[in-house]
Amino acid sequence: MLSFINSFISQTITYAVVYTLTSLGIVISGRAGIFNVSGEGIMLASASIGFIVSFLSQNAILGFISGMLMGALFGFILSYIHESYKVNQFILGISLVILGTGLSDLMYKLIIGVKLTAPRAPKTPIIKIPFISDLPIFQAFLNQDIIVYFLYFIIFFAWWFYYKTKIGLETRAIGENPKAADVVGVNVARRRYLSTIIGSMLIGISGAYLPIVITGTYTPDISAGRGFMAVGIAIFASWKPQRAILGGFLFAAIEVIAFRLQVISQKIPYQFFLMLPFISVLIIMMIFKKQIEFPASVGKPYSRE
Amino acid sequence: MKNKDLFRVIIIYFLSIFFAFIVISIIAILFRYDVIKVLKTLLTTSFKTSFGFQETIKKTIPLIFTTYAFTIPFMIKFFNIGGWGQMLFGGTVTAVVGLTLPKIGINLPSFVMIPLLIITGILAGGFFALIAGFLVAKFDINPIISTIMLNFVAVQFLNFIATNPIYRDPYEGHPITIPLPKSGTLGFISGIPYSIIFAIISIIFVFYLIKKTKLGYEITAIGYNLDSAQKYGINFQKTILLTFFISGALAGLGGTFEVINIHKKLIEGFAQTSGAQYGIFGVLTSLIVAGNPIGAPVAAFLMSVLLVGADALQRTMQIPVEMVFLSQALIVLFIVTFRERFLRRR
Repeated sequence: MLSFINSFISQTITYAVVYTLTSLGIVISGRAGIFNVSGEGIMLASASIGFIVSFLSQNAILGFISGMLMGALFGFILSYIHESYKVNQFILGISLVILGTGLSDLMYKLIIGVKLTAPRAPKTPIIKIPFISDLPIFQAFLNQDIIVYFLYFIIFFAWWFYYKTKIGLETRAIGENPKAADVVGVNVARRRYLSTIIGSMLIGISGAYLPIVITGTYTPDISAGRGFMAVGIAIFASWKPQRAILGGFLFAAIEVIAFRLQVISQKIPYQFFLMLPFISVLIIMMIFKKQIEFPASVGKPYSRE
Repeated sequence: MKNKDLFRVIIIYFLSIFFAFIVISIIAILFRYDVIKVLKTLLTTSFKTSFGFQETIKKTIPLIFTTYAFTIPFMIKFFNIGGWGQMLFGGTVTAVVGLTLPKIGINLPSFVMIPLLIITGILAGGFFALIAGFLVAKFDINPIISTIMLNFVAVQFLNFIATNPIYRDPYEGHPITIPLPKSGTLGFISGIPYSIIFAIISIIFVFYLIKKTKLGYEITAIGYNLDSAQKYGINFQKTILLTFFISGALAGLGGTFEVINIHKKLIEGFAQTSGAQYGIFGVLTSLIVAGNPIGAPVAAFLMSVLLVGADALQRTMQIPVEMVFLSQALIVLFIVTFRERFLRRR
């Protein structure tokens, strides 16, 4: 039983990396007023480039870094076009999703090509902390790869940044009232650029995590809607980092449960379990409808005149 | 539209397409393909042979339906990315009805069966979109999220039906059902599917809806200014529901024709072409014409020309179809950017 619980938690944490990093990335840009719905596209493009780089260099870390850079590129495009031309953020986001989808398969097919056996990503080393990792409670949490530790760090850092530092407070203020922040002397455009790019970098890492760690190989459409589910998580978290993290873990658990039930269950067709995560996004958003708040300026362009 | 604006629009489209083709050319040069041949194949395949032209029309028809599925909610500032889910659901339910009736011993003649299946597709697609409409009207859930979540539900539902022992074709490895009864399928007239008639009817219907009906007037008013539209007594929630139903019905209809006219059975991935779903291409097409219902069919045809060109590139030069998909996304990105730059209103 204990080993079952351990493997369940361990697997949930692996999936939570994807959900949490992505929804945190969306929350971070949303806090500065940019509603980034292009998460799915960023994940796909980063998954592809991350896999290609890690496969060719046989180094998983390089794969994560290149995924992160791809995310930064998308974040830059999004914030540049929005800030310079005031294009509607949703139209922009959706165009970027489609761009990322096309780019991911194109890059893979042009660089790796069609192979008889699917190429495998190099193994990501598991990091253990001496003594503590063997304790029963920590076993599942501290027998993980480097990105999971990065996730723990980011969780702590995001909380500290937004609630304990002046810059974090200012960035939150941009999301609520860009004009007021501007009057106080905050460079709104620059903060929006930075927040979107950093947020997209996190999404890029989670995209690269999919083929390198979770599946071990690249398949088309590998993110399978998780980028959009993360947008749902960010909304139901009311753009609060701590709730986004909670939501990330919740959906990771739902996905793992759905996956396990699908193997066990005989009577109910497996397709209905595969629907479960998507339906639960909608149900959870319905349940939390009353508590959902948006930063006042999210999704709206800001210009000084 | 003033003359000056028209000139600007032409410039915008020209520049966007030009830049996108430059990107294609760069990719082609980087991977050592013959650039001239790539561009020539891409643009002329549809017009060289009658087969190419028939293929173009075959792709244009579903594209018109999915383009409208995105366009109509877009006019009231909602994003229905669920065109492909609604198409899949409409097609799947149509196939279920078409396959179940003969199984339980009801053999209807063609002139009853075809209208029945068409109505099934309309209702199924409309119902599926109505879920998203209901979620936004009652729970304020952004349709971008809800429609995409429902897309994945539809994908699984299609898979469930196509692998179901009652319907599936036991001799196929891929999830494919047994063929529909002959009375439930439409044919071709010199290579052009009969469903083109319904595509034209739907174009006229959308024109009529937008220009002549009360609902169309309300949609325009809400798109122009929601607050004042509500002040004048327009029921926003009702308009949302109706809009979503109509858009889903059109997408579902598109799915029905893919099933009863093109494939004549239910195939997993029946709503797919050149590397992506028709629903995704519909979003792109609609964004190219800025949600303009009049420009949509033209854009859908031009989009299909590129898609047929993309297939030819893959066949003859082994260039992945995604290159064209990518260039279409780039065209859209350029167009929305330039449009804001040169045509900023207010």
